[in-house]
Amino acid sequence: MLASDLLRTASRGVTANRMRSLLTALGIIIGVGAVVLMTGVGKSVEGVILGQIDFLGPKTMAIFPGNQGPEGGASGFRPDFNVLTLEDAEALGALATVRSVAPVIFVPGNARFGREETDPRIVGTVPAYYRNQHIETSEGRFHDEKDDEASQFVAVIGSDIKEDFFPNGSALGARIELAGRKFSVIGVLEPVGTVFFQNVDDRIIIPLSVAVSLTGRTYADMFNLQAVDDFDIAFADVRSLLRQRHRIVLPEDGSTENDDFLVRSAAQAEETFGTVSLGLTLFITMIAGISLLVGGIGIMNIMLVSVTERTREIGLRKAVGARRRDILLQFLLEAVALTVAGGLLGIGIGIALDFLIAQAVHKFLADYVFALDVGAMFLALLMAGATGVAFGLYPARKASLLSPIEALRYE
Amino acid sequence: MTKRPAPLTEKKNPPLIETKNLCKSYFNEGLKTPVLFEINLTIEKGEFVAIMGPSGSGKSTLMHILGFLDHHTSGTYDFHGKPAMKMDEDTLARIRATRVSFVFQAFNLLPRATVLENVLLPLLYHPTIPAESRLTRALAAIETVGLTGRKDFLSNQLSGGQKQRVAIARALVTEPEVIFADEPTGNLDSASGIQVMSALQELHDGGHTIILVTHEKSTAEHAERIVELFDGRITRDTRQFTRRRAKEEGSLQK
Repeated sequence: MLASDLLRTASRGVTANRMRSLLTALGIIIGVGAVVLMTGVGKSVEGVILGQIDFLGPKTMAIFPGNQGPEGGASGFRPDFNVLTLEDAEALGALATVRSVAPVIFVPGNARFGREETDPRIVGTVPAYYRNQHIETSEGRFHDEKDDEASQFVAVIGSDIKEDFFPNGSALGARIELAGRKFSVIGVLEPVGTVFFQNVDDRIIIPLSVAVSLTGRTYADMFNLQAVDDFDIAFADVRSLLRQRHRIVLPEDGSTENDDFLVRSAAQAEETFGTVSLGLTLFITMIAGISLLVGGIGIMNIMLVSVTERTREIGLRKAVGARRRDILLQFLLEAVALTVAGGLLGIGIGIALDFLIAQAVHKFLADYVFALDVGAMFLALLMAGATGVAFGLYPARKASLLSPIEALRYE
Repeated sequence: MTKRPAPLTEKKNPPLIETKNLCKSYFNEGLKTPVLFEINLTIEKGEFVAIMGPSGSGKSTLMHILGFLDHHTSGTYDFHGKPAMKMDEDTLARIRATRVSFVFQAFNLLPRATVLENVLLPLLYHPTIPAESRLTRALAAIETVGLTGRKDFLSNQLSGGQKQRVAIARALVTEPEVIFADEPTGNLDSASGIQVMSALQELHDGGHTIILVTHEKSTAEHAERIVELFDGRITRDTRQFTRRRAKEEGSLQK
């Protein structure tokens, strides 16, 4: 039997009963579709996160109070929330490997202008913060050292705040109320969007000295650091200086167990992300494996039914000269055609859903763009085909071994 | 359809079909049921033989063995002098594809396929007929049974007589040496039955070897030779010098 005849016969077997073929392949369709969708979404998210890590730059790091950092609980409640003092910041700034340190104090309270009121993130910090965060103004200026020294009540507002309070005109020179005190707007920040799933366009930046006087605090919620050159050396310097200043006894195993602070960096985030993404890939592979297994059992079941239903046809084909091999290949190819068609359909559905999700998410997360993991797609299709072979083999073999006369007599 | 050459009568050639003491038993759960006893039968190329007997006489089993659909249990069956017992599965499949073909009582057409597709089916498995000549051959076979106008009909849109003619076209499309017909008129009314017998007689006149299995004497009388079977044994083997001509009966009925 020619390969082309074999293909035509098998495809007729699949299309003869469209509804049944579709339902049979559903497991494969869902499995492959899920893999395509999830790997595509994963790739988009990866793009967003790597983009932001990139945006922060490899030399950026942040220091949080408490051994667990921001994950340790709401600030103010977790232990050691007040260990990062402003003196610590000064000492760190004096390190040769550290270019700049920006201590950050979050000032609680609302912002008000006329009748408009919002709940922004009020950040008290030093001018170095702007450089460390790679932010620019769209109008006006940043606050400078003089503003800080003189404790000027000036504010640099994020683009969202500007949209809310001053939709039509310039914000510069306007007097807004922050945490019950009046501030002059001296600058507006360029829109940035979301960084690590947090909208940073709703911040309002005020001089650190003003924040200190408003809150009465001598400790920071976090330090924002920029290394001079090599991140690893700066990281080691920062850690040993803080340990020394906080009189921390290093445990014998050299772990960070006794530390009362946590250092986070873009480089670390990238590493962590790599681990998470590997875990995610394994998880998706497992889901895909299970769904292909379930799909494969469905295929085997229907192929067995099909062999029984078509016993007389098999008998007839044998009576007109079909060899065992011809029958085996016909049914095997039918199973493979089912799974491959299901796989292709799954890929189509997966791409479509991935695209729709990307469209929706892109609206509020500009960095999220439609992406596909082509490798995973081909692998899923290959696995679907292999499932067809694995689960089609038994029914096909059963068909090929039928005795022609018994098959013809079958009622 | 091309005409086949006249039967060879040279003595040195082994006969087309020759059985010696052929026996067949079925085994079911350790129980032996003998069906055929010591069948000695020789059929030469070009003969038209009817194997006749009541139901249960073993006539269908004999046909299935002679047609390589089933195996005998003991004795010998030589086809062109070659023992069937020694043939492997692939050889049997090749013989079924090239040398023998069948017309069944229940037609056994592919239900969702057209007349043309049904007739093309054996050509898919034929090892030597090139793909390019398939269509010509199939159309010629359909022409022979007079169904050219129906070639694109689905097989389940046809009458019983038409279905059996499709089956005959399918049987002769590979130009086999022997056509086995198992009660080909069994499911048909008498007029359709006459059409089918007429088609078989025409094939025989064209040189085909035909082996017909039937329980009806009137159908068997269309053959040149009648082998009667009773309880698994050959009871009579007679040649007819005046056989019934289906064509004439057909015109008489009209």
